[in-house]
Amino acid sequence: MSLLSIQDLEKSFAGAKALGGACLDVRAGEVHALMGENGAGKSTLIKVLAGVVKPDTGSIAIDGAPVAIGSPADALRLGLRFIHQELSVVPHLSVAENIFLGRDYPRRWGVMIDWDGLNRRAAAVLAGLGVTHIPPGRKMARLSVGDQMLVKIATAFQDASVDGDAPARLYVMDEPTAALSAEESQRLFAVIRRLRAAGAGIIYVSHRLDEVMELADRLTVLRDGATVATRDIAGLQKLEVIELMIGRRFAEGYPPRLAPVSGEVALGVEHLSTGYLQDVSFEVHKGEILGLAGLEGAGQSEVIRAIVGADGGHDGAVSLAGRPVRIEEPVSAWAKGLAFLPRERRQEGLVSSASIAGNVSLPHLDDLVRFGLVLDRAAEAEQAVDLGRKVKLKSKGPKQKVRELSGGNQQKVVFARAIAGPPEVLLLDEPTRGVDVGARYDIHALLRELTAEGKAVVLASSDLPELVYMADRIIVFRDGRVATTVSTEGLDQARLAALCFGSPAAPSA
Amino acid sequence: MASALKTYGTLIGFVLVVLFFWIEIPDTFMTAKNWLNISQQVSMLAVVAFTMTIVMVMGDFDLSVGSMASLAGIVAALAFRDGHGVWVGVALALGVGLLGGLLNGVLVAYVGILPFVATLGTLTVYSGLAFLVSGGKTIFGRDIPTAFSGFARSGIPLADMVSLPSLTIVAAVVLLVVWFTLEQTTFGRRLYAIGGNKEAARLAGIRVRRLRFLAFGLSGLGAATAGLMYASRVASANPTQGSGLMLDAIAAVFLGMTMSEEGEPHVAATLIGVLILGVLGNGLTQMSIDSYVREVLIGSIIVLAVASSSLGKTKG
Ligand SMILES: Nc1ncnc2c1ncn2[C@@H]1O[C@H](COP(=O)(O)OP(=O)(O)OP(=O)(O)O)[C@@H](O)[C@H]1O
Ligand SMILES: [Mg+2]
Repeated sequence: MSLLSIQDLEKSFAGAKALGGACLDVRAGEVHALMGENGAGKSTLIKVLAGVVKPDTGSIAIDGAPVAIGSPADALRLGLRFIHQELSVVPHLSVAENIFLGRDYPRRWGVMIDWDGLNRRAAAVLAGLGVTHIPPGRKMARLSVGDQMLVKIATAFQDASVDGDAPARLYVMDEPTAALSAEESQRLFAVIRRLRAAGAGIIYVSHRLDEVMELADRLTVLRDGATVATRDIAGLQKLEVIELMIGRRFAEGYPPRLAPVSGEVALGVEHLSTGYLQDVSFEVHKGEILGLAGLEGAGQSEVIRAIVGADGGHDGAVSLAGRPVRIEEPVSAWAKGLAFLPRERRQEGLVSSASIAGNVSLPHLDDLVRFGLVLDRAAEAEQAVDLGRKVKLKSKGPKQKVRELSGGNQQKVVFARAIAGPPEVLLLDEPTRGVDVGARYDIHALLRELTAEGKAVVLASSDLPELVYMADRIIVFRDGRVATTVSTEGLDQARLAALCFGSPAAPSA
Repeated sequence: MASALKTYGTLIGFVLVVLFFWIEIPDTFMTAKNWLNISQQVSMLAVVAFTMTIVMVMGDFDLSVGSMASLAGIVAALAFRDGHGVWVGVALALGVGLLGGLLNGVLVAYVGILPFVATLGTLTVYSGLAFLVSGGKTIFGRDIPTAFSGFARSGIPLADMVSLPSLTIVAAVVLLVVWFTLEQTTFGRRLYAIGGNKEAARLAGIRVRRLRFLAFGLSGLGAATAGLMYASRVASANPTQGSGLMLDAIAAVFLGMTMSEEGEPHVAATLIGVLILGVLGNGLTQMSIDSYVREVLIGSIIVLAVASSSLGKTKG
């Protein structure tokens, strides 16, 4: 019998259908991947299961018995555990408090909270995930988003039989690896395999096909809110999955280079140092994609942020097309033709209460005025529609609030903002995070077009194939320094990974 | 149902309040004369609330507006007493308002003090200054030129016995200017972006600090304008004249915010908030109801409005 059986879920938001005939069947002891394009309805289905969104129609059964999940507390009682796509943490509470939020804290003499005990228990929960570098007493706000994700994961995994909840039977994870590094992901997979071996069911959402093929036993594909297929992973080809998702034939891969790199320098960085970065120097040429690689937090993001002045001052010199420039705030970066796509779309990228058009136009408002100060809304909407089409944005129109978009579509809005203008140099930090395979290809093709027009791109990514296939050269960072620079000619993923880890025997190019 | 209550609750409340007084005070309430009267009564509150909306769009507060209004009135009156003309007095008062507002802006945007704390501090400072320069006394009588006090009594005649008060016109002009600034210009768009997500706005090339600084300047200017209006209306100035304005202005903006789906302040919605407070005050006074009752009512209405607007927000 199946552990969980979902039949014909339907859900519309203000007339727009998010789910229409979604079915899902999960067995105990399996990892079941839930696949689909951006906006297919994966997160909505999960929110229904979590009691966060009320479905219009449909039924949910656990062990064959129909259940009603009216609230997150109901879901918890039924033994369901969730890691949602959008982090929800309490930033000013400690890691330990976040882990035990809503549960009874350990006490001393019945009244006082036993903080040491709390921290010890939190550390144990984290250690169960192989995480030892996060101090349980630290404020959540001070962690990187990757670390926050680890804490959320640990929270979902902690022994669930405290407070009389049913023991956890089904874990639901919505893109848990989107903000994790490769090693952190591997550790997560180990835990997932352990849970599976213990007989739990796991619903797993990810746009990283490779990890899905490696981890999952079966998969269900959603398209436009409806289930189109459920298959065993064994014997299934990646390409078949993609074609099920997008409903047409698809050639997987990366778009080819359209033009050679020019000799002209677009962006020059010399002896850049901050509190963390040490003497970083490099050049990016017109028409070139320069990749930034390294382990999580090795300096890739910091370099990009330092160049656009996101964190205030730095030592060293930056030049554009050979002319020295001083950039102390992001506003001057944008004004000088540098576009910046920050790593965390929700915290750093989007004004989620504003419309799609309003988000795309934000750095470009000065180009959208009439009579010196009146905002030209028609031109603004036109810009959003135009770019939205290019990045395959799925929305009701330029006026739709960004908050209402699916995660991947929100990411496309941040990307659209970066290519509006268009800029001379693009500084992109994880630009395709959470974007589905089809749209990823389109974004990569856009980058190829831009470089063919002579734009320069700096691309930081934890997705090694993306770097290997898209970049012309790759700078590998280690502990805030440039460890080496390699050409992607003949480079393979394994060697790049070895370089990131700092293995010897990797000659630089 | 819940969602309709959420969006229109405040508007429905306003209509109910109006209907109530229409029925209770059949002869005088629903007349052009009374509504013009209300418009004049609320004009000062309206100006402060409109400019307060500008800072609240960014998620900030300005608690110093009331004492700034008092200070501005005093400054103008002192200038008059020293024999300066009406325009000199007005310009000085507005200048003080702008500077005081910009000082708030410096503290909040550049020094980095929480707006609540910074403007609570300047509230006390401006109030103390008003007492200091006035010697704690009311300035009135011959010191106030009739050209100044006459303004609040003037208006554009509409029919016999009724005219559109000048103070109402001032409030309407401020409304239009603030509406235009917030809803039609890139400046306004940037303020809303700051209110939505400061960090994202900054990284997208918005000069967050400069805009916060300027917005506080506008709030100070609005407070000074209201102070002048008040001084003109009562033909005098004393150092506590504006003290009631701040809470009512914030309440009006809050009432307006309950009408927006995102909980964002919009100046047109602030106008409804101002009218609710104004109509309540006017109606209850006409019914000779104790002013403490009015306070209890207004407080309850604000809590009700905010509560009804958060209905259904907990669930998707
Ligand atoms: N609160 C909401 N209001 C309006 N529309 C919504 C809301 N939440 C989701 N939607 C819409 O429902 C559809 C499905 O969204 P959902 O988040 O489930 O997609 P997804 O499959 O998780 O995509 P992604 O891979 O990008 O995360 C989208 O078109 C989205 O715009
Ligand atoms: Mg999703």
